[in-house]
Amino acid sequence: MRFLVQPNPAVMDRARPPVRAFLGFAALLLVGWVASRAAHGALTPDGLARILEPSPGERFGPLALWEEVHQGAFLYGFLLLTLGSLLVVCPVAPGLRNGLVGAATVAALVDLLAPFLHVVRPGFPGWALLRIGAFGVATAVLLATVAVAWATFGREPRRTDG
Amino acid sequence: MVDPRVARFTAPVAAFATMVALVMATGAVLFARKIGFDGGQVRAFYLGAEAGFAEPRSLAGLLEVAVPHLLAVPLLIFVTLHLVAFASGMRRRPFALLAGITWGCAGAGILAGFAIRFAWPWLAPLKVAAFVGLQATMLAWLLLLVAAILPPARGASRSGGLTGSEAAPPRAAR
Repeated sequence: MRFLVQPNPAVMDRARPPVRAFLGFAALLLVGWVASRAAHGALTPDGLARILEPSPGERFGPLALWEEVHQGAFLYGFLLLTLGSLLVVCPVAPGLRNGLVGAATVAALVDLLAPFLHVVRPGFPGWALLRIGAFGVATAVLLATVAVAWATFGREPRRTDG
Repeated sequence: MVDPRVARFTAPVAAFATMVALVMATGAVLFARKIGFDGGQVRAFYLGAEAGFAEPRSLAGLLEVAVPHLLAVPLLIFVTLHLVAFASGMRRRPFALLAGITWGCAGAGILAGFAIRFAWPWLAPLKVAAFVGLQATMLAWLLLLVAAILPPARGASRSGGLTGSEAAPPRAAR
């Protein structure tokens, strides 16, 4: 991890292969996450409504929803931290770096929290589409982050950018 | 002013802190809804209860929950503490004390379920105390982390600080 605080050409050169391997697995995780949701029917509004339908008496939404947010926030948190930190030592503009991390974070939060619109106000229109769209944006932005880090890591290390 | 070496990581660290806060908040809701904060409820969850036709937890069922948590919880604590040590000027003793409480609560929380089910049901309050302790200390760590990466208010001096030079990795002040 020394390359994060002391980026220099020799250290970055040594770090590139494991970083690229990690980025490959991060991309696989994202693709697998999309496939998993598709397999469970969570990428269609009807399927999503069926999965997250509360049982009688579940005033605060189904337990499955809370468990999904619990696990999803963990995954998003580590992806955002690791990919965002790698971008810091990549030769990309701070605006692009912060834009990618910011967009992914907002989309991830909407993905995780949109179903609660339906819990707070049953019948809230469009919550499922909002969730599916946010998941698509979050995944796409994170995959773009992986691609940027893959293409630029170690290419032109810099020490500070403010 | 925040150290520029730390400032570069503000966006990913803030995103991480937000998601960890969400993990802890949903964990609290899940604990309250599935187990409960009363000793009797905890015992009923693990040992079963005739009233609710609940079966005692099986070893396989306990392991199904414990094994992922044995990876996720230490990883979360390790990374959070590492970030706080890197970014804040927290002194060594309070850091070690708070870290010890966090690690102790995490271990006790995960293992207490097995102890309640198979050894001594009266350990139920320990399960609740460990969970509350973990939540409280993680909240403290997240506040420290946010305080370390946010720029201080104008005119306010920053407590602690990073040691080391541009060429050396920053360390928490001792």
